[in-house]
Amino acid sequence: MEFITKEDLNGTKTPLYETHVKLGARMVNFAGWLMPVQYESILKEHETVRTLAGVFDISHMGEFIFEGPDVIPFLQYLMVNDLKLLEKSKGQYSCMCYENGTVVDDLVYYEESPERFRMIVNASNVEKDFQWINKQIGNFQVKVRDVSKERCRLAFQGPKSDDLITPFVDTDLSALNRFYFVFCNLCDVPAFIARTGYTGERGFEISFENKYAVTIWNAFLKTGAGVAGLGARDSLRLEACYCLYGHELTNSITPIEAGLNWLVKPKEGIDFIGKEVLIRQKKEGTSRILVGLNLLDRGIIRENYKLFKNGVEIGYVTSGGFSPTLKKTIGLALVETKYSSIGTEFDVEIRNKLLKAIVVPTPFYRNI
Amino acid sequence: MDLKFPADLKYAPTHEWVRMDGDMAIVGISDYAQHKLGDIVYVELPVIGAVLEKGNAACEIESVKAVSVLFMPLTGEIVETNGNIADNPAFLNYSPYEEGWIMKIRVSNPDEIKNLLSVEKYQEMIQKEED
Repeated sequence: MEFITKEDLNGTKTPLYETHVKLGARMVNFAGWLMPVQYESILKEHETVRTLAGVFDISHMGEFIFEGPDVIPFLQYLMVNDLKLLEKSKGQYSCMCYENGTVVDDLVYYEESPERFRMIVNASNVEKDFQWINKQIGNFQVKVRDVSKERCRLAFQGPKSDDLITPFVDTDLSALNRFYFVFCNLCDVPAFIARTGYTGERGFEISFENKYAVTIWNAFLKTGAGVAGLGARDSLRLEACYCLYGHELTNSITPIEAGLNWLVKPKEGIDFIGKEVLIRQKKEGTSRILVGLNLLDRGIIRENYKLFKNGVEIGYVTSGGFSPTLKKTIGLALVETKYSSIGTEFDVEIRNKLLKAIVVPTPFYRNI
Repeated sequence: MDLKFPADLKYAPTHEWVRMDGDMAIVGISDYAQHKLGDIVYVELPVIGAVLEKGNAACEIESVKAVSVLFMPLTGEIVETNGNIADNPAFLNYSPYEEGWIMKIRVSNPDEIKNLLSVEKYQEMIQKEED
């Protein structure tokens, strides 16, 4: 056997770094952060989230606060989704695009008031997003602050997450619908709690001041919930078919190509960056599109594996792996649109062999 | 780390273990190897009948995050493979020395066996790698 060589362990520590190490986590450098990829076993952590609940440290992600009278018009300009569909105490998923329709980042923003929004962005894009946003402000009366390093962020996900969190909050979260959020006390500490998530299970994404990180993390552990690392986070989101920036969404892929046609709204009379290209893609379609794959032969598909039809290259895998819930290989791939119908078969090149793959419906699994 | 290394086995520096049974070598991966790999989700079993030299790639073992190569610890013909691990690759994690055996080799050059590491030498080697 050969093993992956020693990790580059020069990275920024989250407030929970010591806790992860004490729990026996295998740490990796992710986007410049030292993060737990697994504690005991990726498969076990995945299963615990699907059957009970698991807590994830997501402090590596970015958190911005937007303030000012022009927040909503500014976000309308930046985002492909339509803030007319948003309301106070609710969040919205969106892509922020370049003029050519490709993606700067995918993210979620939450309307605390018409003049104050909170936005959570991908760890790998924090600086890029902050610079991009500030570059677009122009004459909009908006100030954007990066509060990422002041706050700890956790995800608590799983079918039992509601039951397990109840004793620790002073609000009735059962009344909180998906994508809505509240400010409340969690373990007697002020916290922002949203019913959002990246696993395909019911659950919460939570933000609070750094100094409470260990207290709150330990409270979740005491409930009997599991801990879950980045490895399980990835296998869970893949089953749920959520995009991962750098894979399904990049600065060469548009949201329409990534299957997010629903996300790009017509927004008539409202200009937004990338509108011309994206509305045209909505109308005319795209030459390639994201599909879900299963393998008909035995094996595992992984990102960047090439797809072939009759010896001609027709696309590539954006994400792939073994699905612990379905107990089979699953993947997402960008393929020429003419080969994107459910049931279409083509070949995946895995090292020196061609294995048969088939287009299947997505998502592979959701339990929200 | 509470890893196990049976004293009656021999080990290759590439983390395969060998159990001799006459001129047959039963081969798998060590507890250290499975621990480093993490959850194993797929094993491409070696081809029965293949005659390979010590150090050649015998098959591939895939964990959640990576693809790894199993090397021949000895030269010989692969005469049997463990069909159970096709459906239960986790055997390599939970029972690396028993249910997780991977292949049986008819050894063509028994002299090579003495070049394998004893359990003490193997553990020394691992200790050095971890430091």
